[in-house]
Amino acid sequence: MFSVFKDLLRYNTEFAIGVVLVGVVVVYAGLSFFSSVDPTLMYTVMPDMAPSAEHWFGTNSRGQDMFWQLSFAFRNTLVFGLLVVVLSRIISITVGLVSGYLGGATDRALMFVNDIFVALPIFPILVLFYFTMRSDLNTVNLAFLMACLGWPFDARLIRSVALGLRHREFTRHAVFSGMSARKIMFEEHLPYVMPIIFSTAMANLIWAIGLEVTLAVLGFTNINIPTVGTTIYWANNHSALVVGVWWWVVIPVVLIVMLFIGLFLLAVSINEYIDPRSRLRRMERA
Amino acid sequence: MAKLKACLLAISLVVACQIALAQDEEPEAPPLQELPREQTLILQNPEGTIRNPGWFNLWVSGAGGGLSTGLQQLMMDTFWYIDPNQGIDGPNYNSLATGPAEYNDDYTEMTVRLREGVYWSDGVEFTADDVVYTVETQMNTPGMGWSGAFSQQVERVEALDDYTVRFTLNAPNSRFHSIFSVRWNGAWIMPKHIFEEVDNVLEYDFNPPVGLGPYTLHSFDPNGDWYIWEKREDWDRTAMAEFGEPAPQYVIYRNGGPTDRRLIEMRNGNLDVVHDLTPEGMFAIVQQDPTARGWFSGFPYAHPDPTLPMVIFNHQNEKFQDRRVRWALTLMLDARALSMASYRGAATLTAIAIPPTGTHPDDYHIPMQEWVSNFTLEAGGQAFQPYNPDLTLQIADMVRGQFGDQVPTDEDEIRRAFGYGWWEQNLEAAAALLEEAGFTRRGNDWYMPNGERFSIRVMIPPDGVINRLGTMIAQNWSQAGVAAQVEAAPDSWDRQSVGDFEVNIAWSIETWGGHPDLSFFLDSWHSQYLAEPGELQPARNWQRWSHPELDRIIEEVRRTDFYDLEANIELGKQFIQLMVEEMPVIPIMSYNVFSVVSERYWTGYPTAENPYANPVNNWANSRYILTQLESTQ
Amino acid sequence: MRAYLWFVAKRALQLLAIVFVGISASFFISHLSPINPVEQTLGRITTRSNISPEAIASLRAALTDMYGVDEPLWNRFVNFWVRFVQGDMGPSLIAFPTPAMTLIQRALPWTVGLLSVTVVITWLVGNLLGGLAGYYQNNRLLKAFGVLAMGVQPIPYYIVAFILLIVFGFVWPVLPISGGFAMNVRPGWTPEFVASVIRHAILPATSIVLVGMGLWFLGMRALVSNIITEDYVTYAELAGVKRSRIVGSYVIRNAMIPQLTALAMTLGGVFSGTVITEQVFSYPGLGTLLVDAVNGGDYGLVVAVTSVAIIAVAVAIFVVDLIYPILDPRIRVE
Repeated sequence: MFSVFKDLLRYNTEFAIGVVLVGVVVVYAGLSFFSSVDPTLMYTVMPDMAPSAEHWFGTNSRGQDMFWQLSFAFRNTLVFGLLVVVLSRIISITVGLVSGYLGGATDRALMFVNDIFVALPIFPILVLFYFTMRSDLNTVNLAFLMACLGWPFDARLIRSVALGLRHREFTRHAVFSGMSARKIMFEEHLPYVMPIIFSTAMANLIWAIGLEVTLAVLGFTNINIPTVGTTIYWANNHSALVVGVWWWVVIPVVLIVMLFIGLFLLAVSINEYIDPRSRLRRMERA
Repeated sequence: MAKLKACLLAISLVVACQIALAQDEEPEAPPLQELPREQTLILQNPEGTIRNPGWFNLWVSGAGGGLSTGLQQLMMDTFWYIDPNQGIDGPNYNSLATGPAEYNDDYTEMTVRLREGVYWSDGVEFTADDVVYTVETQMNTPGMGWSGAFSQQVERVEALDDYTVRFTLNAPNSRFHSIFSVRWNGAWIMPKHIFEEVDNVLEYDFNPPVGLGPYTLHSFDPNGDWYIWEKREDWDRTAMAEFGEPAPQYVIYRNGGPTDRRLIEMRNGNLDVVHDLTPEGMFAIVQQDPTARGWFSGFPYAHPDPTLPMVIFNHQNEKFQDRRVRWALTLMLDARALSMASYRGAATLTAIAIPPTGTHPDDYHIPMQEWVSNFTLEAGGQAFQPYNPDLTLQIADMVRGQFGDQVPTDEDEIRRAFGYGWWEQNLEAAAALLEEAGFTRRGNDWYMPNGERFSIRVMIPPDGVINRLGTMIAQNWSQAGVAAQVEAAPDSWDRQSVGDFEVNIAWSIETWGGHPDLSFFLDSWHSQYLAEPGELQPARNWQRWSHPELDRIIEEVRRTDFYDLEANIELGKQFIQLMVEEMPVIPIMSYNVFSVVSERYWTGYPTAENPYANPVNNWANSRYILTQLESTQ
Repeated sequence: MRAYLWFVAKRALQLLAIVFVGISASFFISHLSPINPVEQTLGRITTRSNISPEAIASLRAALTDMYGVDEPLWNRFVNFWVRFVQGDMGPSLIAFPTPAMTLIQRALPWTVGLLSVTVVITWLVGNLLGGLAGYYQNNRLLKAFGVLAMGVQPIPYYIVAFILLIVFGFVWPVLPISGGFAMNVRPGWTPEFVASVIRHAILPATSIVLVGMGLWFLGMRALVSNIITEDYVTYAELAGVKRSRIVGSYVIRNAMIPQLTALAMTLGGVFSGTVITEQVFSYPGLGTLLVDAVNGGDYGLVVAVTSVAIIAVAVAIFVVDLIYPILDPRIRVE
């Protein structure tokens, strides 16, 4: 695993850039653990100060230091995204492997459900959840919900790989040797779908963070918790851009775009690693 | 590929047709592509998108039609207007009436003499019959805007002749005329000749509207974002003509969108009057657009509305029964932080329950200053005076760093702009009061006498100045050891009226502004209107508080002449003292509205130097501004 | 042909299943709240003190079908569906007593218009450029476009729309930033109206196209770079078939088919994007209505908008699914 990582880092520029971009944001978010600032308090510093040596990212109109504020915001956003990713991986791996391995009626039934989930417009449904649950819709609940809505694409991908594995020699050996279906799926097949899981995890993280940002920007989450979305919500609330407090919006947007592009590059390069044909071709042409 | 393209093209055509069809059902309007900009005034309507744009029957509210789309400002009329500022010729306007209300000795009869030569916009003459029709129809049709008020109070209404109306009341009421006095709005007169043809008044959309104002409807957006009004050719046959000819040929009220959008549209010349901005937006627009200005030409810019943002306790919640608890929560607040958080220091604070605007400082704040300064509380066996009269001067010094010369230096001017003082934050006294009330502290956390954590849910609107104020209040409380959590609710006003809150940041006190009488809000605070928990509380006793002394004051106001200013002020002072003693709500400041005008196309707007009207353009009172404008082109 | 009809029938069944599951889910989601909104909502409406008894009865019926306590959940569920099938979602609260369906009918064409036009543009242009980029891998311009597509594609709709609003509305104010058409233009089939609608649609549409195009571009480029390693392409090249013909007839065409399936799968997401974009530009569609309904505490309308959104997306997917076999030569041969 580690050598793969080293190879990718050395020979795949996209992967390297991705690692750097994501790494910067993650380290920055991690700094919040060493902060002595309480991010929920307002008016602890002079408001509206441009970035300077004292306040690297400036201060906002709510009298908060943006460096620490954003550090907390990115931590919360990343934790939220990871929570969604882990939960939705569990669902999509289970559905994908079961569907692919068992096939037949189980497969048809699962894929029928899958198709329904693919077709649902998620944003209006999340808004409906917010509308009825209001303050009960905390970060964990929201993550759980989004995991329940965000698995179908990846389950289908995993299924297609598992479908191929079913007819492979080693599966048959395993079946003859009396291995249980559960064991075959999660011990024999799982390693083969791992690369897909990684690459889809990145895409899923992008998706989850993007939706969280959107909901928060509209004020449809708990606006007291600093996240990237609530940061932009408060900036809009104080008309930051048009009044010239640009750092309140531009810095989080730049960081989030960095994160998104980084994650995307990781997904693409891992994908390319999985599918060697396109890599070969690129080497030919180069 | 060709087939696919054909298919997709077909789909988009079908869609385009649908759009066109959806628009077809909308009303007839003369096609006119360009309005001459120099003859057009464009104002922001803060109601946003009107969901039922073709509904103009404003005697039936809540149908999704707009009010301040220009409809109530430009087309409607009634007997009197009261300006929250000075007025063109004093704050009291006679509009459809020729003079003030004439009551009999025991206030059971009110006679109104009407102006002659006023015509509806369709050419029919306005007479006493229209007034009688308006009152009788609403008395006989439960569910119209003033049905409740009329059917409770009016025994009968009759036209003595074409231009004289007499109301006979069920019980003495020296304030009956206030129903017909416009402060924001009032009981508008209905056109009898239109409505008597209608089968069901409640379902009639009144489109196109017929009115007594100097403008008529030109066209409106079927999606509810703009309304265009055109000056009547016979504008001189309306009551407003006495105050001059309204200058703009066309007036547009449009949805301004969020703050940034309003600011952009004004700077781009697509909006002449913005109803409200954020404080930051205000500071920015005067820098970016040299033609833009606020009520004050410098800091604090905003127009103080006669409205009082406050902490509203729900008195039907057991947590807020004890006066000492309410006072403790008051003493936990840091007024400097509240002012900075909400208005960036541009707040006009008030410790007493009267908005510090219009004529009120002279009637109440200045005369009461000594009493409030000497007001004494007792906590933990020690007496102390919680009021700090110099607190507002300190805030002025704080903002001087950022705004320099724009901040006044004269003490009287500072007090008018920043307020006359507020309660000093005093955490020890607050703790002593809570302990007296049986609360206990563990670490920094307060526990109620029943052993539960002292927690408060603070309801706030999702944005704006009140949202920030509420966030800061909750922060002050949680720093003092109360588990306060804000809850941003877009429907906070609805939830407030059914009592679905612990503490709400809003207002239940609004006054005339230009008159010391308090009946405008106070009458509804009488315990006779108090609702059971969970039931609907009629405006405006949203704190659901009752007190025998309060009822006595209200009943006395009802028997006092409206124009007897001294007697009214005396009753007002008694009310203020009761409010300080009991602290049923915590008054914070006036609602300062950052209404901005652009002098690019029009000049002559009301300002602090020439305060002839309330500039806030969703108030129907703002119509008099049109007579004072001059085109710059 | 029979195979095609069978295919249509299967898809129609799926359409019904999606709609049924989705709308039923909306019904049950709206029950997660511990509050029973019937009396509360009626209370709020009566504050406005103007109501005809029929309108209140209708609102009570709609809310009782959803939340009423006197009937078991199952009965209410059935009643809800019976009303829904008849197109009756009760009166709205934010424009009482206008039926919720009237508001939706007013908003729906704007959303559907914006959605369909942008989806077509995004898909065609994205795939075309992606196909070319996959084939002509050394073209600088296409390479640059690839980098751009990669950069924009992962950014959320809201951020892209917001940036467009600031750039073209504030920094360089050249385009209208709110509403569906200009003030004082009369709706109808006039050049002025059409031109105004198009001008107002530019920024919202651009934000959707920008975000969406990258996905198709990258997908198509990857697909095409795989296809050109296939033998038949190599043969064609060796046989001296014109390059433009190879790209058009052999390569892109074959790659389009999986991309069409993918289109059906992304429509739900694109719809969400439209909803968000509308909100940024105050576009008079379903998204704006949904947010208004949430802010107005209008239970019936929120459920109604969500339900209609589910139907709209399901129908769009159905339409794309129907086109797909027409293009696929293997099915045509049958």
